[in-house]
Amino acid sequence: MHHELTVWSRGIIMDKEARDVSTCIATAARQLGYYAENVSDYVDDPDRTNCLVRRYARFADAPILDRFVYENPHPDWIVLVEETIIKAVNFFRGTPDGQGVLVINSARDPRYLLKFLPPHMLAKLGKLVVVDATGLAEQRGSSPWMFVRDLSELAFDRMSTEGAVERLAIGRGIAAPLIGALVAAGGDLPVDAVAEVVADREAMLRGAKQHTVVEEF
Amino acid sequence: MSVRGTHVPEHLRLPIAGVTPPPTEKDGQRLFPTGNFRFFRPVYKDKTPPCNHACPTGEQIQKYLDYVKHDRYLDGYLTILQDNPMPSVTGRVCYHPCETACNRAAHDEPIGIRGVERFLGDFGLALQENPVIGDLPPLNGRTVAIAGSGPGGLACAYHLRRRGYASVVFEALDRPGGMLRAGIPAWHLPEQVLDAEIAKLAGLGGIEIRCGVRIGAAADQGGGQPALDELASRYDAVFLALGQDVGRRLDVTGAQARGVIGALEFLRETGLGRPVTVGRRVLVIGGGNTASDAARSAIRLGGGEATIVSLEAEADLLIQPEDLAQARDEGVGFRPEHALARVLTDEAGNVRGAVLTRAGLARDETGVVRPKIIPGTEAEVACDTILVAIGQVQVLDWLPARATERGLIRADEYGRIPHDSGRIFAGGDVMRGPSMVVDALGDGKRAARDIDRVLSAEPLRPDDPAEVMPYEKLNTAYFRHAPRTEAPLTPAADRRASQVTEVTLAYSREQALAEADRCMSCGVCNGCDNCYIVCPDVSVLRDARQNGHYSIRTHYCKGCLVCVQECPTGCLEKVPEMDFDEPDAVVRMETAFAPYDGAHAEQAPFTRQLIEDAIADYDASRSNSQSIHPNGGGGTP
Repeated sequence: MHHELTVWSRGIIMDKEARDVSTCIATAARQLGYYAENVSDYVDDPDRTNCLVRRYARFADAPILDRFVYENPHPDWIVLVEETIIKAVNFFRGTPDGQGVLVINSARDPRYLLKFLPPHMLAKLGKLVVVDATGLAEQRGSSPWMFVRDLSELAFDRMSTEGAVERLAIGRGIAAPLIGALVAAGGDLPVDAVAEVVADREAMLRGAKQHTVVEEF
Repeated sequence: MSVRGTHVPEHLRLPIAGVTPPPTEKDGQRLFPTGNFRFFRPVYKDKTPPCNHACPTGEQIQKYLDYVKHDRYLDGYLTILQDNPMPSVTGRVCYHPCETACNRAAHDEPIGIRGVERFLGDFGLALQENPVIGDLPPLNGRTVAIAGSGPGGLACAYHLRRRGYASVVFEALDRPGGMLRAGIPAWHLPEQVLDAEIAKLAGLGGIEIRCGVRIGAAADQGGGQPALDELASRYDAVFLALGQDVGRRLDVTGAQARGVIGALEFLRETGLGRPVTVGRRVLVIGGGNTASDAARSAIRLGGGEATIVSLEAEADLLIQPEDLAQARDEGVGFRPEHALARVLTDEAGNVRGAVLTRAGLARDETGVVRPKIIPGTEAEVACDTILVAIGQVQVLDWLPARATERGLIRADEYGRIPHDSGRIFAGGDVMRGPSMVVDALGDGKRAARDIDRVLSAEPLRPDDPAEVMPYEKLNTAYFRHAPRTEAPLTPAADRRASQVTEVTLAYSREQALAEADRCMSCGVCNGCDNCYIVCPDVSVLRDARQNGHYSIRTHYCKGCLVCVQECPTGCLEKVPEMDFDEPDAVVRMETAFAPYDGAHAEQAPFTRQLIEDAIADYDASRSNSQSIHPNGGGGTP
């Protein structure tokens, strides 16, 4: 078993959410006895609001040999922390045909989202998982979702976290339901075990239950 | 720096500064597209300004104000004529719902739209040739009968002509104009202006006005006057804009006395230039605009005094505010919250006075507002003329009973009356009760459109719902406060002396320009260039400096929404990016800076081609000239 997880997100405003997804998956996998690696800060930390950023994790039941190739060459678990990324990039580059598990944070109809995938990307897709993580997450503070806030509030509350230790708990907000949906649909990690490492356990379990899976395209 | 002599693997070749075009130059954005970067996309979406929405004729006021701003008076005039055939009339007499709705009222004061309309209307009347004539379609051979040559009938005839239909307009009086002539005093609307506007319409060709024909008069009264069925069979369609020219009668003792005159009849006789006399002490019964017009005309005619007796309280008078102020200046007296109890006559049957009682308006148990007399408050006043302005009706007994209701024509939402032919429309006062000139003009326009639809076998359908721009959505920081220029007035003393001296005067060119300049262009792009200037990513393109001629380069726009924030008029709005699902709305990052696995860069073919072309150009320029100026100029040929 070998899974490569690439989490796509938006610079600064949803950086933390993406990092939490990869961190929780790698942590849980390691606690379960797998070989695991997490790259929570790598080249695309451009400190630009909305810019595409990625976080990587991988785990396997055999030692990971190419441990210094940080960017996953063959991602089969892909998480889009924000739905418009589906229009932004070919996140299926290197994915084995028909094996991509794509988790999208969206409240839209999965069929509508599928319209945005061209044939060559559809060929990689094995499972489309749509979870309304924003709706399922626990609300924190006045306005927990970075990307619906205005920039002044955003700058006050969350500066770039590049190179810093985590200041806030890992696995809160929209990250939690995303992890839940990913683990439930991905299948190889037990949901309960992963939930132990997620700060907002309840939201993670909500995500594990309340998502839509499409396997026919 | 040169890459020549150095081996750089093709997939790592990056654009070179100075050789490849930066994003600010032509093709630059093609080289550096950033893919979909946004949650929201800025979209130009013009909305309906409140003035335009409030105008019953749908005049594109924002548009013609913009033309006035740019000294394009003919374009402005033609813009009005698309909706309203007689701007010189409405520019004088309209009760300007546009100004009432104007967003500028929330900012400082509403724009003097009526004055600008008059300015453009008079500009158009002064033209040697009617500029509309050249654009009219040829007549299509079909003719519509129009009953009434008031604003509704004339507007219908005009808009029908614009659609290629001929029309015959029947007018009961011996001169056309309806209430414009017989209801509105000449000091509001000079006769020559009205005549010129009507002549302009008659000159379009295809509009025939037959005066002295009252539609529907019983055969025993007028003999041979056309009735409804006859019109319906002889013409392709019928538009009934009969107006309401019969004043309501007083139901008090002495109402038959000599000197008790209907205000409408008084205004009509005056308007038609017939000899009318009033006394020097005039009472006007009623609290509306007709009462005000009658009182002011009576002062001019009799040289005495006039007092308006109204059930309404002083603050509730139904007189247009500026008319009320002018009436006060001219010395019109007011007896609010009074009612006429009876008329006192002398032995010869002439009015010698009136008994007034305190009264008011109150809701009865069914919720209907009714007059309420306070008993025991009767008091006598001396007067020699009583003008009655307590409402108006129309004689409709010649219409089928199902087509009338409580003295008005009953019509469906399209103004069509119940009739077997389905081609009889109505509009104006006779359908909606006493209302504004511009309401009738709007009804005429609407009827012409619907008659065209019926005769072209198209279904009738309601107007599309309009999205009206509210004040709150404007970026008002861009609009300086500027006071409204009130239209100049003739001094009150001069006004009192003459029946024909116009009360409200025209804007000068400078004043019209100043008023037009105050327009905030609510919801409509006015080409201010703000989006073009503020875009930090060179993603707003402007091909021509014209309204709405900007475009957003969606391959490069980051969705920062600065343009939306800084759009003064609110015509730019943000739309969720995910709502755009057409194939070409997807722009994936496939370029030099795309974050791909392994290497930093893998170039798309078109990007590679662009770079190679740029390098080739650069090399060619080097071989053509010995010395290279850093900025690309100045090389010896």
